[in-house]
Amino acid sequence: MMAILIGCGQDPAEKKPSPSPSAAAPSTPSPAPRAHPVTQETRETYQFYCAQCHGTDGHGKGINASHLTVPPRDHTKADYLETRTDEHLFTAIQQGGLAVGRAPCMPSWGHTLDDNTIHSLVSYIRELCQCEAL
Amino acid sequence: MILPKNYFLIGLFLLIAGGWSGGVEASPALVKEKQCDTCHRFSKTESEKSAPDLFFAGDKFQKDWLGNFLKQPEVIRLAGHTRDPGFSKGTPQYTGPHPVLNPKEAQQMTDHLMSLKILKDAPPLELPALSKGKRVRVKILFERDYSCIACHQSYNLARQPRGGVSGPSLIDAGRRLRPEWVYQWLKNPRQFTTRGRMPLYTFDEETLRKMTQYIMSHKKDSKSK
Repeated sequence: MMAILIGCGQDPAEKKPSPSPSAAAPSTPSPAPRAHPVTQETRETYQFYCAQCHGTDGHGKGINASHLTVPPRDHTKADYLETRTDEHLFTAIQQGGLAVGRAPCMPSWGHTLDDNTIHSLVSYIRELCQCEAL
Repeated sequence: MILPKNYFLIGLFLLIAGGWSGGVEASPALVKEKQCDTCHRFSKTESEKSAPDLFFAGDKFQKDWLGNFLKQPEVIRLAGHTRDPGFSKGTPQYTGPHPVLNPKEAQQMTDHLMSLKILKDAPPLELPALSKGKRVRVKILFERDYSCIACHQSYNLARQPRGGVSGPSLIDAGRRLRPEWVYQWLKNPRQFTTRGRMPLYTFDEETLRKMTQYIMSHKKDSKSK
């Protein structure tokens, strides 16, 4: 659930085109250290709440996935997640999918998880997709 | 002549003898015999177990449903209990079937479980039935605004079950659960469990009542049982 993030569906129209060879050049600097790093508690929180829909490995195949009309977000896919800012992901978790114009099957977790925990979950999603916001 | 002190001793004797005679003590013995306490907690102070807590069974369940369930158990948590070690992976360790009790045992157990309560002085909740139009509006709250459908099975407008399976099915909630418990659970589930996988909400009073009414409106058709 946590994330059906930003919606429960993968919108093919939003897929980024494959990068050109020059764009794939290893000139990209490493991302700066995050203010809210991923801890063991972050991973446990993801497993406890988010894995119900997004799966234990973040591939979007949790136990609810096949029962939802819109599939949960695959957190390992950079194509979509790099088009979203950290603030966008934070709002999606805190206030639910509708708050960011996405599918309503992603509930709001703002009364369950504190801001620091949500920030660390955003960091964890970045770790899963191995991507940063463009 | 019996001294006042002796009244106390006689009373104490009758109390103990009454307990030994069966009635009150019979059901806890049945709990042990059927090993219910292997999977279920009967006290909040016990460490967590992998089946639903029963120390508030009297607050939660309707007596008729409970008696029938014990004689003819059905699956309510389609993906297993959230505390099952294999829950998140979709491979619960406990896959049933739940033990079956004979009618006499079910009666005893039901009486015992219905005596287990933690809600003190909870007034009966009077909830008029939702009109068709209001039900549709609350359904939007249930599915769209609060995303309950992602984890709980409920009926769609065509009376077909749909929804996620990580939470208990609500298909027959109107016969299984007591409205007062549903109301209190939605208001603050931490009254009953220190940690759960359901999001916490801060419903206003009106929404709380509407959501309770909506959940209680879910009753399985006799045909579809």
